[in-house]
Order: sequence, then C-alpha cells, then structure tokens
Amino acid sequence: MAETNGAIVRVRGVHKYFRRGSERLDVLQDLTLEVPEGEYLGLMGPSGSGKTTLLNLIAGLDRPSEGEVWVGGQLISAMSEAQLARWRTRNIGFIFQFYHLLPVLSAYENVELPLLLLGLSRSERRRQVMTALELVGLADRIHHRPGQLSGGQQQRVGIARAIVTDPTLIVADEPTGDLDARSAEEILNLLDELRRSLHKTILLVTHDPRAAERADRVLHLHKGQLVEQAQ
Amino acid sequence: MKILGLILKNIGRNPLRSILTALGTMVLVFVVTMVWSVLWVLDLITAEKQENLKAIVTERWSIPSRLPFAYAAPISDGAVRQPGDIRPDDSMTWQFYLGSLDPKNLTRDSFIFAIACEPDKLGRIENGKFVTMMDGLESLSPKDQAALLEAIDRLKANRQGIILGYNHLANINRMTGDVRDVNIDQLMGKRIKLFGIGGYKGLDLEFEIVGVFPAGRYDNLGAFHRDYFNNALDQYPQTHGGRKHLLADRNLNLVWLKVPNMAAYNRVSAQIDQSPSFQDPAVKCETASSGMAAFLEPLRDLIWGARYVLAPACLITLSLVIANAISISVRERRPELAVMKVLGFRPAQILWLVLGESLLLGAGAGLASAALTYGVINWYFDGLRFPIGFLDRFYIPINALGWGAMIGAVAALVGSFVPAWTARSVKPAEVFAKVA
Ligand SMILES: Nc1ncnc2c1ncn2[C@@H]1O[C@H](COP(=O)(O)OP(=O)(O)OP(=O)(O)O)[C@@H](O)[C@H]1O
Ligand SMILES: [Mg+2]
Repeated sequence: MAETNGAIVRVRGVHKYFRRGSERLDVLQDLTLEVPEGEYLGLMGPSGSGKTTLLNLIAGLDRPSEGEVWVGGQLISAMSEAQLARWRTRNIGFIFQFYHLLPVLSAYENVELPLLLLGLSRSERRRQVMTALELVGLADRIHHRPGQLSGGQQQRVGIARAIVTDPTLIVADEPTGDLDARSAEEILNLLDELRRSLHKTILLVTHDPRAAERADRVLHLHKGQLVEQAQ
Repeated sequence: MKILGLILKNIGRNPLRSILTALGTMVLVFVVTMVWSVLWVLDLITAEKQENLKAIVTERWSIPSRLPFAYAAPISDGAVRQPGDIRPDDSMTWQFYLGSLDPKNLTRDSFIFAIACEPDKLGRIENGKFVTMMDGLESLSPKDQAALLEAIDRLKANRQGIILGYNHLANINRMTGDVRDVNIDQLMGKRIKLFGIGGYKGLDLEFEIVGVFPAGRYDNLGAFHRDYFNNALDQYPQTHGGRKHLLADRNLNLVWLKVPNMAAYNRVSAQIDQSPSFQDPAVKCETASSGMAAFLEPLRDLIWGARYVLAPACLITLSLVIANAISISVRERRPELAVMKVLGFRPAQILWLVLGESLLLGAGAGLASAALTYGVINWYFDGLRFPIGFLDRFYIPINALGWGAMIGAVAALVGSFVPAWTARSVKPAEVFAKVA
C-alpha cells in the first residue's frame, strides 16, 4: 500500500482518552509517529504519560478515540476484535514486564501456545518452538514450569513466545522492569541479537536509560505527544 | 486437541477446589438421580397403557380387600350375562396367605407371604408364545422362562407344591445350615411346613418346594395351587370342633383381568359394576395403573414436592456451586486470559475454554456419581427398599447414567455461562493498565 512508504508503523493524528465517571482523561493528543522497518525504537516518559496506552494501540489491543493506526500496510484501527485477534497472532510479538507465562504450562507449551492458533502440524510446531527456545538459550529447560525458572529465564521464555510466530513487530513494555541488573543486561543483549540476526522491528518502552541507550532512536512522551531527543 | 489439554491442566491447577466442586456435584447429582429413579418407576407403573391392559377387581369399601371365593368365577368371566357382553382375555385370582416357618420364633425372616392361584396363570405357552398374568415376567431370558415353566409344570402335578422367592430360599438355607450361597437345586423337593399367622392363624400348610421365581421383583413372594388352599379351608372344621375358619367365606383378595384395550376395559368394568351378583360385599374394578395411582394418592404431595421442588432445588444449588467455583477461577486467571487474548485467542475460544472446563468437571462428576449410585444401589444393596403397594424395591434404571452426565453438564453450562462470558469479555488493555 502506498501509505506505508517504508514505515512499518504509522500513527496519524491519534487521540486517546479514557472516561472515568464524568471526567475525561486525555492521554494521547494528536499523536503522530512513523517507525521504519527494522528500527529499534525506545519510548520513555514519566509514569502515567501513556506509553503502555500507545503500545496497546500499535499492538492492536485497543483502538484510538480518533485517528488512524497503520501497521505493515493494514489499517488496524478499523479492524473488529476478532480480526485484530487473528492479526495479532501473525504480526505482533508482545513482551510483558511481568512475563505473564501460563503457570500450568511448561516452557515448551508456553512458547507453543500462539502456534496452536495457526493450524500447523505437530512437527512444524516443534521445529519452531525449539528454534525460538534455542535462540533464547533455554533449549535445556523445555519441561520446566514458570515457577521453576528464575525471573530472567521466565522473561527469556516470554521472548521466545513473542518471536515464535515470526511476527512483523515486537513490542516490549518494560521488559527489564522486574529484573536485577545482570538479568536485565542479558535480556537487552537478547533483543539486540534479535534485531541483528532476525532484522525485527522493535518497540521498547522503558524507564531505564541504559536500556534506552541500545535503541536507534528514543522518543519521549510528554503531555500526550512525542518529543524526539537526540542520542 | 491441545486446547483440551489446557482445559485439563486448568482443572488440575487447584486440585482441592476441583475436588470439592466435583464432590458437591456428585452429592447433588446423587439426590437428583435417586429422586428421578423413583419418579421414573412410578410414572412407568401409573402410565395408562392403551393396549393389553390389566384391570384389578377388589372389594369396594374395605382395605384389605376380602371377597367370597364364590366371586372368583363370575369376576374372571367379566360378569358376562347377556350376548354382546365382553369377556376378558385372561384372568387370575389371588388369595393371600401368610405363614411362618418357625412358630416359636416369629422373626421376619421366617415369614413367607404367598398367593394361592391357578398355576398356569403364572405362565404358560399359548400358540407358541409365553403368556403370563404376572407383571414383570413377560420378558424373561429363555433360560429363566424355561426354568419357570418347568416349575409351573411341577406345581400343576403336585398339589402341595410351592414356588418361592429367592429370599425365602436364602432364609430357609440360613435357618438350616447358615450357608451363604443358596444352592437352589439342593432345596428343590424339600418339604416345609408353614404355620399360619395373623388372620391365617390355625391354617397350617405343608408344602414341597418345586421352584423359584426368577430373581428380581418376586424375590419375596411364594405361589401355590389355589385348590390346596381352598381344600385346607374346607377341612379346617374337622380338626377344629366343627368351627369354620374366620376367612372361610372371605379369602379371595383380588382378581386380575386382562383386556385388549381401553374400550374393552370400560365395557368389562361396567359389566362388573352393574352386575347384581356382587352386592355384598360390593366390588370395584380399576386398571392396574389407576389402582396404583389411587394407592399413591396419599403420597401425592410428597411426589409433587420431589418432582417440582426438591429436584429443581438441587439443580439450582448445583449450578450455583459450579458458578461459584468457576467465577473464582476466572477472577484469579484474568491476567492469563488477557495474555491469551494478546496472543490472538478469540473471544469465542476463551468462552469455550472456560465452558469446557466446567462442562468436563460437571459431566464427569455427574456421570461418576450416577455410575456409583447405580452400582452401589443395584449391586451392593440389591435395590432400594421402598415398599409401595406391590412394589418392593426400586432399581436405578440404566438411563440414570445418561441423566447423571446430562444433569452435570447442563448445570455446569448454566452455572458457568456468566463467568465464561466475563472471561470472554476480558480487555487486555484494561487488565494491563496500571490505573494510577
Ligand atoms: N483502561 C483504562 N481506563 C482508564 N484509564 C486508563 C486506562 N488505561 C490507562 N489509563 C490511564 O491512562 C494514563 C496512561 O496510562 P499508561 O498505562 O499508558 O501509562 P504508562 O506511561 O504506561 O505508565 P507506567 O510507566 O506507569 O507504566 C494513566 O493515567 C492511566 O491511569
Ligand atoms: Mg506502562
């Protein structure tokens, strides 16, 4: 589509507000953003500034109050909930601050979960799951439950789950927020690695300046708008 | 399917809660299964058959019914008086007799309740087909049928013969040798003496065991030749200083009539009602089912309550138990369900994930409960003692297994629908928003 012209994410004139009772809380106001394919973009801003809200719009978890969100040439802000669900499986890899693995499933099964929605054969699933787990260095922990893994290991399983469907875009919301410095370092190295070897486009929300350093470009959310800051 | 595995794992995640929910389901399904089994049997026997129905003729104004034996022949004929009157297809007279094997020790186990009747009404081959006037003996296995026919032949040949119920044989066995397994063959031909008790006092009869009723409904009933009974009553004065036995003139308790259809029944019933021969005592004619319905009349409120209050109350409670357990589990799992949505699970899939969990739990526990009830009641207790009228015990019908699973499944669906809908509507963006 002509709209994309190189940018994988295009956010145009987006407003997002929430209602709490009679109050209206304007979080994003006339926000515009373009992310070129393959970019590693850092998003910073004070707590409550709307970073997660913006990420949710781009990842198709929520819809803007006004404006358009295009991802990979598709106008996702116009999709129905069921369409968005299907779209997310193939196009978005989500990494959470608190990992959010399903506690009843093993590392292997957690990574396999999104593949169940794609109608792949058992052996195809196995191949993809193992590739992802090897990439994050956990091929020897496939039968472990989340409760039997450290925070850093759980987050690596979370990353494997995010990349297993080979999505267009990886969004990470404070992926190191709950980790000690060393584990955080490992996770950031892993994201760099994904970037380098798989050429993924990555959107990273973080409070941590050391994490932001890794990004090609860092944007700050301020009063509902994005402000660029030179590296 | 993989999703099924996920459902099973979710059930296993909080084993205590799942087990408690399953146990609650089992208890409630048990109660409903019992109630429905009893109602099912009662419905079956009170449902009016349209063809080949049985009528029962008894004394009109008195319970127990005691008619003069002189009524036997005319009633059996349907009181036909003029051309055009309808004769029943078949009939059977019942004269009750109650005796004890041991007059010095009148325990319940020593009692034998028997009917004096015409042997071939118990069962015979007519036009190549087995016919009987005894409810429940119509469709025996070929082996049971052959054994019964042989016993009836021996009864015809031996005026003092008696066919006993299985429980009588077991009691006789216990009195003589305390052997647990009843050896029927060994008891065949054995002579017993019964000492009349209650209204039958002084009427002591000697018998030779010639057979046993097929296991089931008639485990507590004996049957013998009515000629022997009538003879014994006739001879009574000779040994009792010329006095007749109290029951000498009133020893016919009831007559069964078989008629081809409702129209025939109405005619026969009218013939009997209008007959001048049955004035004192007067008689009444009912279908077997209306007779049973009349018998159940005093229990009507109870049965109504069981059907429309107890059973539905159990079902509602069951739904609430399941709703409670599933709501808690959904609330605990909100973040997980949100993650699944983020990964691309669609609302309908999430809905089924939750419904499937409760459906599996409910149907499984329901089936297990019904199967347990079926096994324990039918095999271990050999039926549920519940004497109403001529019924002695109830058995849980095999359908109960289906009911059990279905009750569990339906209650689970009803109970988990709201929580499942809540799960379906989980908004990931809201779950993960840290609302400041
Ligand atoms: N679903 C919602 N309903 C109502 N208000 C919301 C909702 N989601 C977010 N908000 C509000 O919008 C504002 C921005 O929230 P958001 O989670 O995007 O902030 P954030 O920048 O990610 O903060 P943090 O750094 O603490 O994660 C906050 O004031 C929050 O309370
Ligand atoms: Mg946030």
